[in-house]
Parts: sequence; C-alpha cells; structure tokens
Amino acid sequence: MKAWHEVGSLTDVEREGRILIRIGGREIGVVRDPEGGGLHAMRNRCPHSGAPLCLGSVRRRETGQPGRYAVEDRVVLHCPWHGWEFDVDSGRCVDDERMRVAVYPVRIEDGRVLVQA
Amino acid sequence: MSERRLIDCDIHQEFGDSEEFLAFIEPGQRDWFRAQAYFGLPGYTWSHPSAWFRQDLEHEPGQFPASKVEHVQREALDRHDVEIGVLTGDDGVTASLMGSSYRAAAFARAHNDWMRELWLERDPRLRGSILCPAQDPAAAAEEIRRCAEDERFVQILLVGGSERPYGDPRYLQLFEAAVETGLPVAIHSGGEGMGIGATPGGAGNPTFYIEWHTLGSACSIMAHLVSLLCHGTFERFGELRVILLEGGLAWLPGILWRLDTNWRGLRAEVPWLDRKPSEVMREHVRFTTQPLEHTDGHDDLLFEMLAEAGAPEILCFASDYPHWDYDDPDHMLKRFPAEWREQVMFENAAAFYGARLGLVPA
Repeated sequence: MKAWHEVGSLTDVEREGRILIRIGGREIGVVRDPEGGGLHAMRNRCPHSGAPLCLGSVRRRETGQPGRYAVEDRVVLHCPWHGWEFDVDSGRCVDDERMRVAVYPVRIEDGRVLVQA
Repeated sequence: MSERRLIDCDIHQEFGDSEEFLAFIEPGQRDWFRAQAYFGLPGYTWSHPSAWFRQDLEHEPGQFPASKVEHVQREALDRHDVEIGVLTGDDGVTASLMGSSYRAAAFARAHNDWMRELWLERDPRLRGSILCPAQDPAAAAEEIRRCAEDERFVQILLVGGSERPYGDPRYLQLFEAAVETGLPVAIHSGGEGMGIGATPGGAGNPTFYIEWHTLGSACSIMAHLVSLLCHGTFERFGELRVILLEGGLAWLPGILWRLDTNWRGLRAEVPWLDRKPSEVMREHVRFTTQPLEHTDGHDDLLFEMLAEAGAPEILCFASDYPHWDYDDPDHMLKRFPAEWREQVMFENAAAFYGARLGLVPA
C-alpha cells in the first residue's frame, strides 16, 4: 500500500532546492522548480549510470530552431553527472525513451511536504 | 559474371597538358594562372613517397594517368562494366583553399567547363561534380546555379580541408543553392592542412604522409559530419543530402555512438536537435566505400559495426581510380556481405543521385 510520508518543510525545500529522504529502502528526492516553484519527487538514482539524480539542476528544457534558442514549458531535471534530462512529471529521459526514473505524487499541507510512496 | 550493375562514385580525372586546362580560364585571369606553379593551387605539404597513382596505368610521357577520357574509359569504365562513373577531378578541389577567393572562383568556373567539355561530352556514362569556391559561399552559390542546369552534373563538390567545418553558418548560401537546385553535396577528403585550411588531425601538423593520410582525410570527414549534424543543417534543410567521400568508414560507428552520447548530455547547446544525430545521419548522409579499411581478417566485425551505423543503406561503392589506394570493384564485390552487394555497388547510388543518372531500368 502506498502511503503519504511527511518528508520535510516547504521552507527547507525552498531554501535547499531539494529534500532527500529514504522510504522503504528507496532513496527519493523532492526537487523544486526554481522558476515555477513546483515540487517533484523522484527516485534518487539515475537509470543511466547510477548518479544521485536529485542533486542535478531543475530547469525548463531548451529548444529552438537551428541557430535560435528558446525554452519549452516542459520542466526537466538534469542529471548531475552526464546531464541527461528527465521529465519531472513522467520521469522519462526525454532523449532516450528506454530510460525512466520512478516519480511520486507530492503535496503540501500546512507548510509540510508529503510524498506518496 | 552475373547481372551485376555498378556505379563508381569516385573516379578522378586528371589534368593533361596545362594549356588544355588554361583555355577554360577566363581571358583576364589566364596569364596569372599560367604563371603559377600548378595553376596556383595550394601544394601538398605531405606527399606520397613514390607516386600518388597506381603504377600499372597507361599515361603519356610527362603526364598524369587518367588525363585523357580514353584512359578512364578503358581502365575504369569498360574494364569493370561500370554503368555510371561520377567524376570528382583531383587536386582541383583544393581551389577552396587558395588564398584568393577571386582566383578560386575563376578556377572553379574553368574546372566545371573543362569537366563538361572534355569529359562529360565525350562519354555518356560519365557524370560530373560542380566545383565551387567554398571560401566565398556567395560565389559558390552562383557557380552552383550556373552549372546545375546541365543535368550531367550530379553533385556539388567540397574538399575535406576547410577553414571551418561546413556546418558553420558562413556556408549557408552554399547549402541553400544545393537545396534549391536539388543537388546533393559531396565532401571529398583531401587538402587538409593546405593553403588557408586548418591543420589536419587536431593536434598540429604531422610529419609524414602516412600520418596525414591516416588522420587528415578521416578527421576532416568526421569533423564535417559532426558539424553538419550539430548545427542542425538537416533540420534547416530537410531536403539536403550529403555524401562523404574517401574518409574511411571503420570510425563511423564509434563517432556516432560518441555523438549520440554527448547529445543526450549536451543538447542544451544545440537544442534544435530533437532526434539522435545518428538517426538524422541515416536519413541524409551517404558514404563512399573506398578506402575500406583492411581488417586483417576481421571483416565480419567491421560489417557488423557498420550495420549498426546504418549499412548497407548508407554505403555507395567507389574505386578512387587512378589513385594508389584504389579499391578494385571485383575484389570489393567479394569482400562485401552477399546480401549487401547490389545495394552497395549500385542501388544506393542510383537512389541517391536519382534522375540525373539517367539510368535505364534493368
């Protein structure tokens, strides 16, 4: 049964950019999109080569036309080792469909951050 | 021999008597070209220790082999039942590395007229490549448009040696002209480290021809391939097709794996690439086979790796006649896996060059 777990305060994640916790033997990170403020919980292990994924940076995915740069609405987490990009909502590696990381629902209650896992 | 059909995608015809070529230079510049060593083309810093050419070929005293159409007919076309031979000239392609873009443009015009009058006119099996001065992309585009009307020209020809790799936006006008005329762009190795071109290999100038020949021609082709892919040239020009000549092949799977890996981590720098570069390559780029690396008995491994990179669809046979590292068609026919042969020796080139080959269906 998946249960909601209190993992820290909103203030913590706003200050640190992330919270790392262990639930049922799995290390999970809650990361914050610094632009939109949304919180996203993901398994803290990159499926590519095992990096602590949630120590990476969260930002909107770059896009563009040849020679012209823009950003998408989609928010991605960049792995801190090789920079592979994971969609924070689906957990999919945007550029390699075979790679996917588990994502978990997050909610905020009275300034506390809860993760369902 | 069975019904095998053959297109040779890299036949080098050579200059004969210098006045024969100079006659095609515009009158106002002819004396300048006559006064230069070898028409003012940048000379090779590294040279084959004995000869650039096969030693068994017929030639006039003091002249290069393959400098008359009869040589090409007898030695390259008739001998191997070549249905179509694509001419690429030879050292003329290094005009893009001449210091003066004005001289280079005049040279390219003369080379294309020489190609048409002395070669394409004389054998219906021959097709030509449009030389253009890459150091002046506007002039290059003009020359491409001038020549493209003649359907016997089947491609635009660039040289491996360059000031910058060809994905650089300075070359956009050249590629625009390619797409507008429907012609593919061929990049033939050579000229690396010559004239105004960058040094070959990436670690400074080598000492020996063997180093230059090993690295220069492969590294320039790698650099152009990676550059065209990273700049999004094929996203910009969805119809553009490129063929890479004489740069070797064994490195291809490695460079594609490396580029795809880097793309996953570094695509923020080139965010217009929304597909793996190797996938884009397979759709837009072809490679000629010569010089296919001698593998010391590991051909199966080579072909397995090339299959991962898109072979046999991406491969087109080339002999490189009359050069010393020539690949004999009948020998190569035996080397390729049986199920690849028709595609590599004929079908891929027929599809790539299309209607301009004027092929009669079997």
